[in-house]
Amino acid sequence: MIGNTPFAVCMVLVLLGLWALLFRRNLIKIVIGIKLIENGVNLYLVATGYVRGGIVPIYTYAPPDATMVLPTPQALTLTSIVIGLATTALMLAFVVVIHRHKKTLDGCKVTELSG
Amino acid sequence: MTLLTGHGFWNPLLWLAAAAGVTVLALVVWARGRRDYTRGTDGELPFLSGEKMEGAHVGGGHLYWGFVEGLRPYVERLRLFHTGLVNDYVGWLVVILAVVFLIVLVGG
Amino acid sequence: MNLAAHAPILAIVVPLLGAFALPLWAKLHKLLRDLWLVLVAAGTAALTVLVAVQVYTAGIQVYTLGAAWPRDAVAPGGFPIRIVLAVDALSAFMGLIAALVAVVGFVYAWRYLAEDEGKTLALTLGTLLWAGMLGMAFTGDLFNLFVFFEVTSIAACGLIGYRTWSSRGPEAAFKTMVMYTVGGLFVLLAIALLYGEYGALNLAHLARLIQGTTVDRIALGLLLGGLLMKAGAVPLHMWAPDAYGEAPAQAVILLVANTQISLYALFRVLFTLYGGLADPAIGWLVVALGTLTLLVAALMAVVQMDLGRLVAFGAVSQIGYMLLGVGVGLTVIAARPAYGLVAIQGGIFHMLNDAVAIGLLFLAVGAVEKAAGNRNLGNLGGLGHDLKWTAGFFLLGSLALAGIPPLNGFASKLMIYQSSFLLSPILSALAILASILLLAVFVKAFQGAFLGPKLSRPEPVPVPMLVAMGVLALGILALGLFPNLVVRYLVMPAADALWKGRDLYLRAVLGR
Repeated sequence: MIGNTPFAVCMVLVLLGLWALLFRRNLIKIVIGIKLIENGVNLYLVATGYVRGGIVPIYTYAPPDATMVLPTPQALTLTSIVIGLATTALMLAFVVVIHRHKKTLDGCKVTELSG
Repeated sequence: MTLLTGHGFWNPLLWLAAAAGVTVLALVVWARGRRDYTRGTDGELPFLSGEKMEGAHVGGGHLYWGFVEGLRPYVERLRLFHTGLVNDYVGWLVVILAVVFLIVLVGG
Repeated sequence: MNLAAHAPILAIVVPLLGAFALPLWAKLHKLLRDLWLVLVAAGTAALTVLVAVQVYTAGIQVYTLGAAWPRDAVAPGGFPIRIVLAVDALSAFMGLIAALVAVVGFVYAWRYLAEDEGKTLALTLGTLLWAGMLGMAFTGDLFNLFVFFEVTSIAACGLIGYRTWSSRGPEAAFKTMVMYTVGGLFVLLAIALLYGEYGALNLAHLARLIQGTTVDRIALGLLLGGLLMKAGAVPLHMWAPDAYGEAPAQAVILLVANTQISLYALFRVLFTLYGGLADPAIGWLVVALGTLTLLVAALMAVVQMDLGRLVAFGAVSQIGYMLLGVGVGLTVIAARPAYGLVAIQGGIFHMLNDAVAIGLLFLAVGAVEKAAGNRNLGNLGGLGHDLKWTAGFFLLGSLALAGIPPLNGFASKLMIYQSSFLLSPILSALAILASILLLAVFVKAFQGAFLGPKLSRPEPVPVPMLVAMGVLALGILALGLFPNLVVRYLVMPAADALWKGRDLYLRAVLGR
C-alpha cells in the first residue's frame, strides 16, 4: 500500500540534513543537520527490514507460522544509534570548547585554520 | 637486487656505484682547480644578495622567493578554496559526490 | 587455545580492551600504565605479525566470530550468517603498516607528551585508533567496516582535539569530525542500500551477488564519496591540513596511516566488492582525483609558513600518488594486466614508503616544536647547530618524500611514473612536477628551520623521540636499498590479492 514512501521520506530527511550542513553557519545547527542525516539513514535501515504484517522477531514467543520482521536491520540500527550518540557527544563537546575560546558559535568566525 | 618497473628497472646499488663514480670525477675536477686564490678576503664570504652582515639568516619565507612569487597567482586562487568554513568542506563533499554519481550512473 | 587460529580477532580485541584498561592502570600508578601499554602494544604488534606471516605463507585467513570453524560462516543453504574477518595479503600489509606506525608513535610519545597535558588520554585514544585501523583492515563484513570506520573517526578526532586549552585543536577536531561523520553516514547509507537489495552484509557474498543495477551504482557512488573523504583526496582534503597541523606528532602519524587504511577500504570496495563490474570510467575518476590531489596539495605547500601545515600538505599530496598508481591499475588492468599490476604495486608500495617518510617528517616537526617552542618558518632558524640528529632526520625524510634516489620514495614513484606514462604522458609529467615542487618546499623548510646562524637556544630532544625517528630513518634506508625484496615478498602478494585474488577471497570466505 505505502510502497516506497518510507524510503522517500528517509531521503527527504537526509537532504534536509545536508541543507542544514551547507547553509547554516551556527555550529549547533550543523550538528543538528548531521543528526538529521543520521536519523534518515537509521530510518532507512529499519524500513528495509519491515515485513508487512510481521511481528517482533523473538522465536520463543512467536506462534508457529508467524511472519517476523527482519532482526538484522534493527540490530544494525541500534549499533548505528549508539555510534551516533558517541559522535554527537564528541562534536557537541568540541562546540562547547570552541565557544569557550571564541565566545561565538558563528561558523564564519571559527576559521582560524585556513589557507 | 633489481626491481622491474614496467618499462625499465631500478637498482639502488647500481645507482650508488654510479653516484660514487660521479663523486670521484667531481673530486678529480676539483683537485685540478686553482690553488693561488687569496685567503681571508671577501671572496670567501657566502653571497647573500649583497648582504655583508655577519650571521644573516635567510628565513624560510625568503628562500626561493622568486619561485614562490611566480607560483603565487595560482596558489592564491587555490588558497581561496581553503576558507576554513566547515560548510564549504561539506559543500565540496557534495560536489564530488555529484561528479561521482555522474560518472557511476551515466558514464558507466 | 590455538593462538594462531584466533590471531585475527585477538589483534583487534587486545588493543581495544587494552585501551580502555589504560586509564584504570593510570589511576593506580603511571608506571603501571606504561608497562600495560608496552604489553598491549607488543602483544598487538606480535599478533599482527603472526597474522601476516600466516597470510603470506598459507593464504587468506578467515575467522568466523561465534563459530567453531571458519566454514560456519555460511549456513547450509549457502547464505552467510555470521560476522567474518577475512585477512588477505593486502589487509595484512595494512596491518603491518599500522603496527609499525603505532609502535614508533608510542615510543615517541613516551617523552614527547607531558604528564599533566592528558598523556593518559592520548595514549588511550592512540591505542583505540590502532584497534579501529586493524578492524578496518581485517574485517570481511561491510557493516563492521562502518563500525570500525566510526571507531577510527572518534578516536582520531579525540586525538586531534583533546588539547582543549588551545583554540586551534578543538576547531580542527570539530571540522574533521563533521567531515568524518557525514562521510561515515554516506558509507552507512550505501551499506543499507546494498543490504536492502541483497539482504546480506558479507563482503564476499555481496561481491558474488552484485549485478550493477542502478541501486548498486548509487551505493558505489556513496562508498566512493565517503572513503575518498576519509582518505583526504582533493578537494575533500580540507580537514587534513587542519588535523595534521594541530594534532600531537605521535597522533599525526597514526592519522596518516588511517588515511591509508581508508584507501585500502576504497580499493577493497573497487576491486573485490565491485571487481566483477570493473569500469574504466571509475578508474579514470580515481586517476583524475589522484592527479588533482598531488598537484593541488604540492602547490598549497609552497606558500605555507607554518612548518606543521607545510608537512601536512606534503602528506596530502602523497595520497595523490597512491590514488594515481591504483587508479592507473584499475583503468588499464583489464586491457594490459602486466602494466596494470605494476601500477597497483607502485601505489601499494608507496603506502609503506609514505608512512615511513612522512611519519619521520611529522615526528621531526614535533621535535622542533618541542625544542624551539614554535613552528613558524619566519621565526625559526639555525636549529641544526643544536638538534643535529633531528636536522638529519628531517632532511632524510624530505628527500625520501620528494623521491630522490636512492631513498625509498624513488622506487615506488618510479613505478607510478612509468605505469601512468603508459596511460598518458601528461599524468607522469604532472606527477614529476609535483615531486619537484615538494622537493623545493622541503629544501626551503629545511634551510629556514635548521640552517643559518644560531637564533635561539633550543632544548635538547629527548632520547626516546630520537630513537623513534631513528627507527623510521633506518626504515627509509632499508626500503630504499632493498626495494626489490620488499616488493617481491610483501607488495606483490598484496597487489595480487587486489586483482587476481578476488576469486580466492570469495572462495576462502564462502567456501566454494
